[in-house]
Amino acid sequence: MGAFAAILRKDLRLEIRSGQSTLALFALSLLIMVVLVFALDPQPSDRAHDAAGALWVALVFAGMLGATRSILAENENGCMRALTLGPIDAAALYGAKLTGGFIFMAIAELAAVILIVLFFNLEIGAALIRLAPPLILGTLGFAALATLLAAISGRTRAGDLLLPVLAVPLFVPALIAGVKASEAALLGLPLAAEGQWLGILIGFDVLFVTLGALLFEHVIRED
Amino acid sequence: MNSAIRNGLGWSTLALMLTSLFMVFEWVPTEAEQGIVQRIFYFHVPLAWVAFAAFGIVAIAGVFYLWLKDQIWDDLGYAAAESGMVFCTLVLITGSIWAKPIWGIWWTWDSRLTTTFILWLLYGGYLMLRAMADDTPEVARFGAVIGIVAALDVPVVILSVRLWRTIHPAVIVTRAGEHGLEDPRMVVTLLVSLTAFTALFAWILMLRFSQLRVRSRLNGMRREAALIEAAARDY
Repeated sequence: MGAFAAILRKDLRLEIRSGQSTLALFALSLLIMVVLVFALDPQPSDRAHDAAGALWVALVFAGMLGATRSILAENENGCMRALTLGPIDAAALYGAKLTGGFIFMAIAELAAVILIVLFFNLEIGAALIRLAPPLILGTLGFAALATLLAAISGRTRAGDLLLPVLAVPLFVPALIAGVKASEAALLGLPLAAEGQWLGILIGFDVLFVTLGALLFEHVIRED
Repeated sequence: MNSAIRNGLGWSTLALMLTSLFMVFEWVPTEAEQGIVQRIFYFHVPLAWVAFAAFGIVAIAGVFYLWLKDQIWDDLGYAAAESGMVFCTLVLITGSIWAKPIWGIWWTWDSRLTTTFILWLLYGGYLMLRAMADDTPEVARFGAVIGIVAALDVPVVILSVRLWRTIHPAVIVTRAGEHGLEDPRMVVTLLVSLTAFTALFAWILMLRFSQLRVRSRLNGMRREAALIEAAARDY
């Protein structure tokens, strides 16, 4: 627990002092929304559908940068090796990086939610609160996946190309469930319609957080 | 010894393949509703079975590699992924060829098609990783991790895609294979074809596997030679 807190604190302090990722992620969210608005030209009739789709496009693309931020930073100057040399449990290290990634992604998504309300003319109300569970669960799942994969892609040639190739297909089930749950929330459908998708998201999260914690050791070990 | 088994398997595959070709094109009766095009079913289904089985082998080999750290498991997993990719590609191609005359479209986001497509993408990611990196134990571990994660992702994919498509029913709900095989000869043909394609896969897997074994041994020798050379230079 001590190691977990120490690494997380270090990553967050690094971010607060430099402020680079937060700003970049905000800008990225904004640009994705701008692109999608022009690409989709949202009509009032399909507003909920388009907004839910746009939100999850932003989640995946901003996540690709946000969730991997804290782990890729360790590749510079052999920091990862230093971390693995210390008496730190690989699962604790994974947990800290996952939490860091989750926080960075959450910042980008907050920007994305504000922007879809503005750009897609959504009502501010209960529908937006119902967006929170799928977004939180989807972000956790993506961060869990991306943290594990970034440790791999960061140590291969052209790794920044490899990450999306590996992450996007694996994320498909959570993406389907997340978009559908968000759409149900924005349309104000009964809670049961959202619930079954949340079930899939929870299953996805449990699976990938467990797998990440178990397999992270094999990914960061050097021989 | 090994090559004797391999050759035996190769010749049996050839015999099985010729038998199944004869059965598919000459012996089995034509399906009443779809006509001649339904015969692609006897290739499509065995290909799909092999593609999924190959993926299972990648994952199991991955578990054993992380556990026992023996290069032999990585070679098996890599060989299975490469051969599986070929079969998975063929499933998608034969599926499209079948879909066009029957459904009138090349592709639909039906649950089975979507799942197979995702499987194909996952294979692609695995192979891209292997192509982008050298043959080091580190990359072998990465491959094992990806293989395991991907295999465990597949059930979640199936679950979500099925739910996705029940809520939004596809335009076409009937599927050729689900009409049931009315004639017993159809069942026999399918079984022979399944055996033939499984044998083909086993044979290709064995060929590629032994090739990778040789390569690994060669890499090991190279490393050893480099060490000896370095030691000699220091001396």
